[in-house]
Amino acid sequence: MPEVTLETRDNSQVVFSCPEGQFVLGAAEAAGLYLPAICRDGVCGACHAHVSKGRYNHGPIAQSALTDAPSGGVLLCRCRPEGDLVIRVPYPKEDIRTQPLVPRESTIVELTRVGAGYITLKLALTPDPELGIAAEFLPGQYMEVGIRDLPLRRAYSLANLPNWDGQFEFLIRKKPGGVFTTWLDKYARVGDKLQVRGPLGRFVLDEISPRPRCFIAGGFGFGSVLSMLRHLAQFQDTQSTTLIFGADQQHEQFGVGQIAEVKAALPMLRVIPTVWYPRAGPNGFARVLQEFAALLQQSPEHPDVYVCGPQEFLEGVRAVAGTHQVPANQIFTEQLL
Amino acid sequence: MFCYQCEQTMRTESGASCTVKGVCGKDEATADLQDVLVYQLKGIAQYRAGLAEFGMTDGEADSFVLGAIFSTLTNVNFNRARFVGLIAEAAQVRDRLRDRYTEACRGAGKAPATFSGPTLFQPAKDLHRLLEQASAIGVRAGVEAVGEDVIGLRALLLYGLKGVAAYAHHAEVLGHTRSEIANAVAHTLDFLASDPVDLEQMLQEALALGHANYVAMEALDAANTGTFGAPSPTAVRTTPVAGKAILVSGHDLRDLHALLEATNGSGINVYTHGELLPAHGYPKLRAFKHLVGNYGGAWQKQQDEFSRFPGAILMTSNCLLEPQPLYRNRIFTCGPAGWPGVHHIAGRDFKAVIQAARALPGFRTTEPEHTITGGFGREAVLGVAGQVIDAVKSGALKHFFLVGGCDGAAPGRNYFTEFAEGVPSDTMVLTLGCGKYRFNTHDFGTVAGLPRLLDIGQCNDTYSALVIAQALAGAFGCGVNDLPLSLIISWFEQKAVAVLLTLLALGVRNIRLGPTLPAFLTPALLDILVQRFGIAPITTAEADIKAALSSKAA
Repeated sequence: MPEVTLETRDNSQVVFSCPEGQFVLGAAEAAGLYLPAICRDGVCGACHAHVSKGRYNHGPIAQSALTDAPSGGVLLCRCRPEGDLVIRVPYPKEDIRTQPLVPRESTIVELTRVGAGYITLKLALTPDPELGIAAEFLPGQYMEVGIRDLPLRRAYSLANLPNWDGQFEFLIRKKPGGVFTTWLDKYARVGDKLQVRGPLGRFVLDEISPRPRCFIAGGFGFGSVLSMLRHLAQFQDTQSTTLIFGADQQHEQFGVGQIAEVKAALPMLRVIPTVWYPRAGPNGFARVLQEFAALLQQSPEHPDVYVCGPQEFLEGVRAVAGTHQVPANQIFTEQLL
Repeated sequence: MFCYQCEQTMRTESGASCTVKGVCGKDEATADLQDVLVYQLKGIAQYRAGLAEFGMTDGEADSFVLGAIFSTLTNVNFNRARFVGLIAEAAQVRDRLRDRYTEACRGAGKAPATFSGPTLFQPAKDLHRLLEQASAIGVRAGVEAVGEDVIGLRALLLYGLKGVAAYAHHAEVLGHTRSEIANAVAHTLDFLASDPVDLEQMLQEALALGHANYVAMEALDAANTGTFGAPSPTAVRTTPVAGKAILVSGHDLRDLHALLEATNGSGINVYTHGELLPAHGYPKLRAFKHLVGNYGGAWQKQQDEFSRFPGAILMTSNCLLEPQPLYRNRIFTCGPAGWPGVHHIAGRDFKAVIQAARALPGFRTTEPEHTITGGFGREAVLGVAGQVIDAVKSGALKHFFLVGGCDGAAPGRNYFTEFAEGVPSDTMVLTLGCGKYRFNTHDFGTVAGLPRLLDIGQCNDTYSALVIAQALAGAFGCGVNDLPLSLIISWFEQKAVAVLLTLLALGVRNIRLGPTLPAFLTPALLDILVQRFGIAPITTAEADIKAALSSKAA
C-alpha cells in the first residue's frame, strides 16, 4: 500500500498509508491526522501542498484553486497516490491536529443587517455535558458554519473574543447570488439552529513580535482583524498599531461602531479610513494600497502586516510591501475563498 | 542577546549560548530587557548598602528585588510588556533609596558616596532605546578586558542568586522572610556591581551564596511546614476522576492553597502537575477532598499534556512553555509567570479560572486508580531513622543514592532513569525535584521493610535531604561525605545552580552533575570545582553506579 510522507515546514515528518485510489486527505484523516482543509472538493485551495517525490493522480479541481500544478503543486483532497509519495506541506507539524473537530449545534441569537451589504450573525453553542460550552479560539481564526444535514458549509472569521459562554460573532459580507448569505438574509430567523465546526485557520497574531502592527481590512476580512484588535485592547497592548479600514463607499456605516469601540479601549490605535472600490484590475483596491504605501513610507520601522481578503487584493498588498522591502515573514495573510 | 543560564542553552561548535532566540522561547527583546532589569537591581543594592551604613533598611525594596529577579529565571516570564513595567518600577525603587540615602547623609553631615554605573542608570522611555541600552550591560560586558573565566564566575554568582531569590520569594509569600537572605541577595548584587575580577574572591562569594541558599531553603521549609503541616507519606492518584477540572503547575503552595479554598465545594476537581506533586504530602493541602491527584509528568511534556487536559490550567511559576493553540485560552499565569496574550491572574482572584473550568468538558470518566507515593519529608524519614540505621548496620541496606534535581527534554536525561532503576536492590533511592519523573512510576519495592524510593519533595526540599543526611551522619559518627551516600544531580535552571552552591558550601564532595555541565563554567572554572569538590560529569549509568559503590565501600 502506498506510503505518504509529509514533510512539514519545521522539518518534521509524518507518515501514513494511503490505499491506491484514495485521496491523501481522507487517508490522513483515517490515520487520525487532520490536515488543514475546508471544502474537500478541489475548490478552495486550503489543502495545497507540493509533491516532491512520487507519482499521483490529480483532479478534478477548480482552475483558481491551484496555479503550480506543473511543478508538483497539488490539492490533497484531490490527490491520489500511484505509489509512495513525499509531500511538502506549508505548515508546521503542530498545525496537524490529531483530534477531529466535532461539529457543534448552535442557535442564532442575533441576526442583523448592517447597511446594504452586511449581516451580523451571533451564535450561541448548545450546552453539552460532554463537550462543555467554551468558545475557544485564537483571534483571527474562523469557524465552518453550516446547516445540519445539508452539504452547505461556509468559513466565517470570528469577530468576537474567546469566551466561556459559547458565543460566536461573525460579520458576514453578503455575496450577490451566494446561497448561504441569501439564506441568512432572507430566510434565517433568530432561534434557528446552525452547525459550527472549528476553530480553524492559522491567521493569528504574533504576540512575541516587538514590531509595530498594521492591519488592513474593510468589507473583506474585517471580522478576523476586529477580533485581533479586541484582543489587543483586552490586554492593553502598547505597541504602535494602525488600522487601514476600507469602506465599500463613502459614508459606509459598516464597522464604524466596532472601530469606535476598539479605539476607546486601545487609545493608541490609529485608524486610517479609506474606500475600497473593490474590483480586480490595475485600479482595484487602489486607494487602500496607496494608504498602505504611504504608511510604509512614513514608518521608521517595517510593521507586521495583517490582511485578509481576496487573492487579487493580497497580491496588491504583497507587491506594495515588496517595493518597500518589508520581509515576507512579517506579512500575515488569509485568503478569502 | 546573550543568555546561557540554563542547561538547554544552544550549543554549537563556536560556543554555548542563545543569541538570537532562547531555546526556551524567550525572544531577543525580552532577554535584553531582563539584562536591563538585572543591571538596575545592582544599583538598588548599592544604595541599599549605603542605607545599611546608617542602620537603615527598606523591606519594600527587598521584596521588589526578589520578585524582579524571579521573573528572569528560565521559563518564568516571556512577556516583554511585563519587563518594561518592572524596569520603570525598578527606577522608582532606586530613586526612593537614593533619596533616603542622600537624606540620611545630610542628616549625619556626611557627603554621599559616589556609586558606579547601575546607580546612575536612567532607563529610556521607548523600547528601541531601552534595547540599545541593553547592549552594553549584559552578562558578557567587559569580557575583552577581564576574560571568560571572570565572566563565567560572575555568571555563576548571578544565576545562583536567581535561585536564592526564587526560594526566598516563595517563603515570603507565606510570610517568612529572613534579613539574612535579603542581606545576602543585596550583597551579591552589590558585589557584582563592583565588576569583580578576583577568581578566588568570587569563588568564596559563591560559597557564601550557597550558605545563604541553605537559609532560604530552610525558610521555605519553615514556611511550607509551618503553614501546611509536616509532609507525611501519601499515595497520590495519577489517573483522572470524572468531573470538571483545574490543573495547577509551577511551585507555589500558597497559590495552590488559595485556589483550593476558592474551589472548595464547587464540584471542580483540582490536580497538581510537575513540581506541585509534593503538595499532596502536606496535611493541610490534602485535607481538601477535591485535590484529587496529580496529572502528567515533568514540565517538558506540558504542550502535549496540557493540550489533552480537559479543563483550566493555572501556572504559578516555572516552567512555562509556549502555550499551544489548543489550550491558549484556558491557561492562566499568576505570580512571576507570564506569556504575552495569556491571561494573568493578579491578587489570587481565581474567578476567571473557575469560570473556564465550568465551561470546559472536564473528564468524562473516572479511570482505574494508579498511584505514586511521596511526602517523605525529613520528619517522616527521621521518624524511621532507627529502622534505617539498623538496616545499614546489619548490611541489609548498603547505600543511598540521591537522584534528583530538574528534569528536561534532552535525550541524555534517560541516564537518570537507567541510573535509578539500575542501582542494586539493597540500596535506596532518594529523590526530589521534577527529575523524579524519570523513574517515579517504576516499582522500586522495599529494602529491610522500608520503601526503596523516597520522594522527599520539591527541589527546595534539598533542605530536608540535608537534614536527613546530617542526622544519619550524626548517628554513624561520621561526616556527610563518609556516609554511603552518592549524589547524582540533574540540573536545568537556576534554582538547581543555587542548590549546587549550597552543597558545595557545605563541603559535599563527589557530586555527579548532568546531563551536561553549565555552559558558563569555563574549563578553568570546572577544573577548580573538580579539584576542590570532586564534582564530576555523568558518564554512563552502569559505570557511575559501579564507581559510586566502589568508592564508598563501607
